[in-house]
Amino acid sequence: MRRWLGSAYNWLDERSAIRSLLRKGLYEAVPVKGAWFYTLGSATLVLIILQLITGIFLTLLYVPSVKEAWESLDYIKEHDAFGSIVRGIHLWSAYILLFMIGLHMVRTFFSGSYKRPRELNWVTGVGLLVLVLGMAITGAFLPWDQAAYWTAVVVTNIPAYTPVIGSFIRALWRGGDVVGPITLVRTFGIHIWLLPAILFPLIGAHLALLRKHGEFGSYVNYRGAYRTREGVEVPPAPQQRRIEPPYPATPSDELWAAPLETEDFYPHQTFKDGVVSAALVLLVFILAVTIGAPLEATADPATTSYTPVPQWFYLPLDQLLVVVPKQLIPLVLVLPAGGVLLLLALPFIDRGPERNPFERPAVMVPGAFAVLFMVILTLLGSGRLFNL
Amino acid sequence: MSGLIAVIAPWFHLLATQLPATAPQGSNSVAARAAIGGLFSIHILIAGLISGAAELGPAIEWLGYMRQRPRYDRLAHGLGRFITVYFSFSSFIAILLITVLLVGLWGHFWTTMVTIAWWPLFIEAWSFVLQVVLAYLWYYTWDPLRSFKGVHMALGGLLAIASFIQVYMIDIVASYMLTPTNPTNPIRLVLNPTSYPLTLHRTVGNLAYIGFAFGGFCAIKFLRAKTAEDKAFYDWAGSFGLIWGVAMTLLQPIIGYSYAKEIQLHTYGSWYKMMRGSLSTVFLWQMTLLGIMFLTATFYFARRLRTNEARGAGLLKLMAAGMVLTTLLAAMPYHLAFTLDQVQAAGLDRPFWQGGLINPLGAMIPWKVLALMTYTLIAIAAVVWYLRGLPGVVWGSARRGEQRLLMVMTVLTMAMIVTMAYIRENGRAPDLIAGQMQIQGQQNIQEPHPSPAPASTP
Amino acid sequence: MALPDPRRLSRRQFGILGTQLSGAIVGLALGIPIIGFLLSPLFRRQQYVERMVGDISGVPDREPTKFEVAFPQNAWDVPEVKQAVYVVRVNGQTKVLSNVCSHMQCPVRWEKTLGQFLCPCHGGLYDISGHNVGGPPPKPLPEFVHRIDGTTLYIENRFTEDI
Repeated sequence: MRRWLGSAYNWLDERSAIRSLLRKGLYEAVPVKGAWFYTLGSATLVLIILQLITGIFLTLLYVPSVKEAWESLDYIKEHDAFGSIVRGIHLWSAYILLFMIGLHMVRTFFSGSYKRPRELNWVTGVGLLVLVLGMAITGAFLPWDQAAYWTAVVVTNIPAYTPVIGSFIRALWRGGDVVGPITLVRTFGIHIWLLPAILFPLIGAHLALLRKHGEFGSYVNYRGAYRTREGVEVPPAPQQRRIEPPYPATPSDELWAAPLETEDFYPHQTFKDGVVSAALVLLVFILAVTIGAPLEATADPATTSYTPVPQWFYLPLDQLLVVVPKQLIPLVLVLPAGGVLLLLALPFIDRGPERNPFERPAVMVPGAFAVLFMVILTLLGSGRLFNL
Repeated sequence: MSGLIAVIAPWFHLLATQLPATAPQGSNSVAARAAIGGLFSIHILIAGLISGAAELGPAIEWLGYMRQRPRYDRLAHGLGRFITVYFSFSSFIAILLITVLLVGLWGHFWTTMVTIAWWPLFIEAWSFVLQVVLAYLWYYTWDPLRSFKGVHMALGGLLAIASFIQVYMIDIVASYMLTPTNPTNPIRLVLNPTSYPLTLHRTVGNLAYIGFAFGGFCAIKFLRAKTAEDKAFYDWAGSFGLIWGVAMTLLQPIIGYSYAKEIQLHTYGSWYKMMRGSLSTVFLWQMTLLGIMFLTATFYFARRLRTNEARGAGLLKLMAAGMVLTTLLAAMPYHLAFTLDQVQAAGLDRPFWQGGLINPLGAMIPWKVLALMTYTLIAIAAVVWYLRGLPGVVWGSARRGEQRLLMVMTVLTMAMIVTMAYIRENGRAPDLIAGQMQIQGQQNIQEPHPSPAPASTP
Repeated sequence: MALPDPRRLSRRQFGILGTQLSGAIVGLALGIPIIGFLLSPLFRRQQYVERMVGDISGVPDREPTKFEVAFPQNAWDVPEVKQAVYVVRVNGQTKVLSNVCSHMQCPVRWEKTLGQFLCPCHGGLYDISGHNVGGPPPKPLPEFVHRIDGTTLYIENRFTEDI
């Protein structure tokens, strides 16, 4: 049996070079220090794949039509226990994914991992964040219950405050002046085709760049491994570096990205990644079974008793809508748009070699305030989650 | 401090002898209001410091551990000492408040409140126990646990949590009085509309307050310091306190605005009184005071950098000028009379250039909001620029002027706290619990009424 | 060796030009219909219909009363959806207000205890006539295009002013 398998493997390898591919994939040298923090990225990937799988299976039953969207989901809720779990997994893994992607980003930001030569890792990561947020918000429209309908109304109305072309953008998304049948179908198309079609190639690019530069961006892997502009300090010899240099990726790099201690990606890092991902998937599963995905009453534009509650992940934006007076509403658009632009520009603004978060206040302090303001706005807005 | 007690205590004894033997319900005169107002102000000023110190101290200890800087450890240790010394004074005031004032003069109100908020008050009491134990443990195990810093920092973390619980529990009571909800539903009680905007406002405020307070304290110590080491430490600690205070204060405008928004939606009458009624002048003073605080801080930043000719002093001076302009905008009154009602009653509800008494530039929306946003943005920029310049600063070389600014900052903060407490507590008047109990005679309101909007304006 | 005549198209240049041209043809043939398809709902004429709300003689003074009217949706044959209509009488004047907030189009409700229209999303407040009195809404509460025939109210599915 074993021999038979071995020869089959050889047969395959001769025709596909799978052996060297696996070697390259599994036995990369990764740093020992900070390894648990590096699991945030893989956990994000696992949750996105969870989204893909459950999403595909949900399309086997869901009907994207104002008449039947709610009814098809109500059918799942009433008659299909496993379907409810699949829907629950889709929802809860999305929620946890948003949280993890935020943590991953904060980690990268504070540890200075976005610095040369990893600028494009960061840029693709920002792109992924925006796309995942887009997926989350378009996904929230689809059940066409009260929550979904009013989310659709408010969210499609926000771009209307863009000067000059605002109402045009709103009408384009809605497929008319008001939210209606066309809005739902369009949003469904965006959710299952348009955004994933950009998202998955971008994930590929993100991973390819990660492998190209190695997982050594974090400042913990830079300690004691300096090469200043004068070329005075020489890094201590790495002990277990096995896979070929060059770290740094380019010889002109002012700081060496040289982890003092490395180990193989497989099975050391994969073990940690696996533990974290399995714990999260288990959490998603438990939440899906116990709480599941809610489905409120079907959409009713004539309601005067329903209080629309924003999805938690755009609470900061929604709370801004509460506090920003009418003359300044376009600001609510400028802030997120400007925020994304600033994020994209970050590695090109903060170009110094210093990676220790305490030593670069000019970037860390505004960043910390941005995070703090998001948290505070979320807390202030969260009263509406409890319908107070 | 003991002198203060010696001054206050006889007065309370006098007050206590005035207590009627029975039926405390009708006994609230102007004196009773003044007594509880005054004592609560002192209580807030002390208690805010203690909970701020109990939350900030552990954070500074952690920061010192992360950065391996002994001066952080010394500062955190100092905050620990402050808590242990002043806790007794704070308790003294609290006991006075409860026994003499609340039970004695405001008996009916207090019984009602204890009935409604029994669980929060119960947890409050226990969080006190927890806080005392942890505060003393945290302070006195400093050296014994030096080689087990993780354990010690965990103790500090627990202390911070206990302090937070304490603030939250008492804020449930305080916020309930302004925006009452169905008291039989515990979730509604705990999460009443203003309970956590208030808690957030106060927690962040306490953190800012302790920063400004030890900033001023270190300024005094700096001027008296003999050794170069002490001078360097107090110079640094004063600057650190100010940075910390400003960083926290600049979060406050948006929290405060959301808080006011909740009051508008749930107790419109109080909101109207604060923004357009008899409290609007006090509110205007608060807006101005905030600007003066930011201005003083920015001015300190600029001066401190200039003393050592570190980079960024010029730009910080420009920011200070920006703060002056913003403060001028924020300080503009909207109605040029005591209240808006007076203006409307006189029929002068039009801009002043048309002979009216309205100044459109003083409107909350958008001008004051704009001013608040500008405060926030300039303050962030000032903190960043100051931190960028800090590597050029030699600690211990500060001049007198900067230390005076630190002391002024402490006084301004205390004025701010008393102002805000005054606005919030008087916003409810004539109700003691909005829509449910009146201050006058602590009468229950028979038909609880949410305060409706005034007659529709055309 | 003779240099190629710059005025004459070389074989290589011809190839480049041809490839680019083919790309342009494919792009145009695909792009024009797709963009047109995307934009087409915007250029279709909105269908405005008039529907009867009902008898409004019973609406009391200073007490906004809610009616519900069904209108067709602006697409293919899907069920009609109801819209809320607030009929308001103030000092003998009648106003026909929508429940659509001018801020983010949330469902506005009449709050008796406040004596105001409240938008539960972002705390917009309107007085009884639909004028702004608080919160972020930039415009008054929209009013339906309407017609009163005796005591019977008819409305169209559009507002007097765009929001």
